[in-house]
Amino acid sequence: MLQSYLDSYLDSFSNEKKKNTEVQKKPSPMSKRPRTKKKFKIFSIGEGLDLQFLGLLILIMIIGLIMMFSASYPYAYHRYGDSYYFIKRQVIFAIIGVAAMIGISFFDYHHFHKLAAPIMGVAWLLMLIVLIMPTEDNAPKRWLNLGIFGIQASEICKFALILFFANWCSIYYKKMKTIKYGVAPALLVLGITGFLLYLEPHYSGIVICMFLVAVMLYLGGLPIKYFIIAGVSFGVLIVILSATGMLTYAMSRMDGWGQALEYTTNEMWQTTWQTRNSLYAIGSGGLWGLGLGQSRQKYLYLPEPQNDFVFAIVCEELGLIGAFVVLAIFGLLVFRGIKICQQAKDMFGRLLGVGLMAQIGLQVVLNVLVITDWLPNTGISLPFFSYGGSSMLVLLVQMGIVLNISRSANIAKE
Amino acid sequence: MDSILSGIKERATKLLILILVCGFGSVACRLFYLHMIMGQELSEKAVDQQLSDTLVSAKRGTIYDRNGNVLASSASVWKVILAPAYFENDNQRHYVSQGLAEILGLDESDVFELASKSESYYQTVKRKVESDERDKVLAFIDKLSDKYERLSNVIVLEEDFKRYYPYNDFAASVIGFTGSDGQGLAGIEYQYDSYLTGVSGRIVTENNGWGTTMPFEYQQKEDAKDGNSLVLTIDETVQHFMEKYLKQGIVDYKVAEGAVAICMDVKNGEILGMAVENSFDPNNPYVLASEDAQKEVDNLTGTAKEERLNELLAKQWRNKAISDSYYPGSVYKIITASAVLEENAANLNSTFYCSGSYVPYEGVKAIGCHNTAGHGSQTFGEALCNSCNPAFMMMGKALGMDKYWEYFQSFGFNSRTGIDLPGEGTGIFFGEPWGPVDLAIGSFGQGISVTPIEMVTAVSAVANGGYAVKPYLVKQILDANGNVVETTEPVVKRQVISEDTAKKMSEILEKNATEGTAKNGYVAGYRIAGKTGTSEKIGNSRKKNVEDYIASYCGFAPADNPQIALLVYFDTPTGEAYYGSQVAAPVFAGIMSEICPYLGIEAQYTEEELKYVDTAAGTYLSLNLNEAVSKVEADGFEAYICGEGNTVVAQVPQSGAAIPRGGKVVLYTTENSTKETETVPDLTGMTVTQVNEIASEYNINVSFSGSVELDTVYSYAQSINPNEQVAPGTVVTVYFGNNDVDDTVM
Repeated sequence: MLQSYLDSYLDSFSNEKKKNTEVQKKPSPMSKRPRTKKKFKIFSIGEGLDLQFLGLLILIMIIGLIMMFSASYPYAYHRYGDSYYFIKRQVIFAIIGVAAMIGISFFDYHHFHKLAAPIMGVAWLLMLIVLIMPTEDNAPKRWLNLGIFGIQASEICKFALILFFANWCSIYYKKMKTIKYGVAPALLVLGITGFLLYLEPHYSGIVICMFLVAVMLYLGGLPIKYFIIAGVSFGVLIVILSATGMLTYAMSRMDGWGQALEYTTNEMWQTTWQTRNSLYAIGSGGLWGLGLGQSRQKYLYLPEPQNDFVFAIVCEELGLIGAFVVLAIFGLLVFRGIKICQQAKDMFGRLLGVGLMAQIGLQVVLNVLVITDWLPNTGISLPFFSYGGSSMLVLLVQMGIVLNISRSANIAKE
Repeated sequence: MDSILSGIKERATKLLILILVCGFGSVACRLFYLHMIMGQELSEKAVDQQLSDTLVSAKRGTIYDRNGNVLASSASVWKVILAPAYFENDNQRHYVSQGLAEILGLDESDVFELASKSESYYQTVKRKVESDERDKVLAFIDKLSDKYERLSNVIVLEEDFKRYYPYNDFAASVIGFTGSDGQGLAGIEYQYDSYLTGVSGRIVTENNGWGTTMPFEYQQKEDAKDGNSLVLTIDETVQHFMEKYLKQGIVDYKVAEGAVAICMDVKNGEILGMAVENSFDPNNPYVLASEDAQKEVDNLTGTAKEERLNELLAKQWRNKAISDSYYPGSVYKIITASAVLEENAANLNSTFYCSGSYVPYEGVKAIGCHNTAGHGSQTFGEALCNSCNPAFMMMGKALGMDKYWEYFQSFGFNSRTGIDLPGEGTGIFFGEPWGPVDLAIGSFGQGISVTPIEMVTAVSAVANGGYAVKPYLVKQILDANGNVVETTEPVVKRQVISEDTAKKMSEILEKNATEGTAKNGYVAGYRIAGKTGTSEKIGNSRKKNVEDYIASYCGFAPADNPQIALLVYFDTPTGEAYYGSQVAAPVFAGIMSEICPYLGIEAQYTEEELKYVDTAAGTYLSLNLNEAVSKVEADGFEAYICGEGNTVVAQVPQSGAAIPRGGKVVLYTTENSTKETETVPDLTGMTVTQVNEIASEYNINVSFSGSVELDTVYSYAQSINPNEQVAPGTVVTVYFGNNDVDDTVM
């Protein structure tokens, strides 16, 4: 046991710190082909890109675009007088995103080692800018205006956190059981991120970030007891904060949670409008759905059906069967992604890839639980479905990284 | 290193299982629950909010008179609806409230109050908006949509119908009126509501969240089925004359509680006219028609005002012709006499001695006759013509209680006639238990009550040969395209008396109308048969120690072949004259004189009458003077020339005006000569001969109204007051009748 830790420590040390000088001589035991790397290549063309994963990804993207278009055109027409308003922009970002993904898939992910800390810094900086220069008055300060399009700072932040902790854990994997290396940095980074998100405010962002950090630390080997302690203390913190009234916005978002179908007060009826109409849409779908394009709820009943609630329209139009098929494709994508990435040659690859795929799975689950009123209505988008150029772009960049990992991972051996 | 890596791999696998099983698993369960178990409920709720169900009003049927004149019809109007839920702020509310208030003539704050009901999609701003206002509202909606895109559905116009009664208060008690939702509330409108209403249609459309229709077609339309139309038995002309004479009678005799006239086709029970005065305007049924009543209400306050208003409204809507019951008085003698003849309790040769009073039953007080000196010995017919109460008490006694009761029933007085109007009352038989005194006074129409419609139906039975028919008002029911759906078949309920008895009664009643107490109801040439009646009013007097009376006259014409029966009834005449012969008879005669010629009843003049029959003046204008004079003479008139010219430039009376034979036609030959005038003399209190003499002195024409056969009849009124200046040749109608007091009032 001790020996194996020592070995891996030495391995990683030689890999990460000594720029793979030893790996040059001694090929990784997991490598199938007698391929050696002297240094990281900028581009790694021709290596085994995982076509199954790519196929699933393209499939889910196409379904996502079709469904987003179907869900959005009545609202787009009503709001902008152009049925194609949302889909045009989404397709443009999807094309740019796929190009970026392909590009990134050639970009050796090991370069992100060095980029981890700077990207985290950039993410925080963007979140600060968002706070200082809000795009809208009286609205949560989430969007960064980049002129032609807006970007949600938290999207970059999520990626930055995964990257940061993939890097951290792969460096300090031996010390992960210690408070100093395992817990303290996590609390610090999460604390800063959480505080910035709290100021926006963007509570669902905090929740997702916490989940992602937890996933990364778990993968990195942080003992379970810390998660339990963290969970309990987080619960206590929530109680204290809500008692002091610091969570009024979050509490207001919780209002009407699980009570969308019951009329209590007019105000509450308005608050739960979106969730209720989401449930109506889902329930209307039945087993086989009303048929593609046949949703009734998207006709201005379900507000902003192109955003977080696009899956409700999927349920209405494609029915339970369609919803299960979409979920199954997501499941397969996550399954395949994690499968590939856990075969990566090194810790960093494994941590990064699995983390990125876990993020996809997590968001899918949380999104569907929100639209089905099992979680309070807080902006959690559905990957590849919900409208949002920045989200699409960041997601595809992340998928590019996974693809790149797939090139170096050898799945066939397992 | 391997173990570290495999450790990650292992945890990654655990994580994957966690995500897939717990995450995706719970999601799948939740979706399954919502789709398959909650699906039905949720989709129903979804459909509920997506579909809008709009009622389409059916057009209410038209009501026509028997000749196709429109008495009531519906026309499109619009209801202005506000859907305040679309408002986003008070600025918009103010803008719309101001605009609508201005167009619709409403108070802006009232509209704003409606606009502030922010949860509502349906607030009625104004009903029955007509097309000019509706056009303005439409223009305002356009303007609004330009200004605030989201408010394009905030104002909605719903088509509706408004009921119009083109003749205003004409036959209002018969036709009735409708409420704000177009439902019949009184009269024919109420009785035939289900026929007139039709069936509302509906349009089910699928709406989007803003209430506008979805881009794809989903509309189910069920057309409204317009209501049936009704053709009444009412004849607009007959009704018009009846109302005209009743109105005049109410003024002349200071009638306090209104008047009724019913004209019925005796053969089949068709009601040709049913006039109830004072009535109301069905276009505004909630407005008190009587100014006095309105003043009375205005002087009150609070609940007293409201109660009195409701009381007075109920009174003005009440159809006295079918709802009020009254002591029929002497008119009922027709029924008693018919029963006596039919039962052979007496015959035409029986004599009855009247000493001025009669003791019907030993030990009771004597009951007097109106002729306190007594009528002496009378035959059956004379007794009726004298309206002699003692004679009728004797007849009643001879008839017996059981038979009296039997005929009371068989003539239909204790049951409703079944006329197709709501709120029919019935006669009442007060004496319970029936004593001999009840029988005695019942024989001359006291102590029992009847409704006007019952009375005219009973008299019709006498007129038509003894058959009790069912009176009715709706002749035909038409569908929306004017095709006949239903035709009312006359109903003969039973034979009450034999044709022979009926014939005898007609003869006696005709004699009564020409020579007897009913002669004020006579119309030259039309063989009127009739009977007057004056009775004490049921219930409390208006004032203490002052009796209120009902003056009535019921008769039919022509006596040899009866066609129409007419009842005229004045409730509480407060002038000097209150007897049936003074009040109801002249009005009866006036109505009959108009409607008999109109209905094509052939006039049969006696030779004496022929002298006074009016003829239409011809056209003599533009003729050479000599030609004109010879034409005037050829027409049976006397020519009277004014002016020096050779050509006729004007004539009095005008062409077509009715003047008696031998009357004067004044021919004017120069323009300015028309200024010549004559002073109208006083022509009242004279016999026919005297009136003729005076009239010819004054160069005016006289039209004779009433019975003119006897020189015992005196003129009592004239159409143009004495001392008025008129053009020579002007026709003055002089009314003849007598002031004999004919009836007993108990």
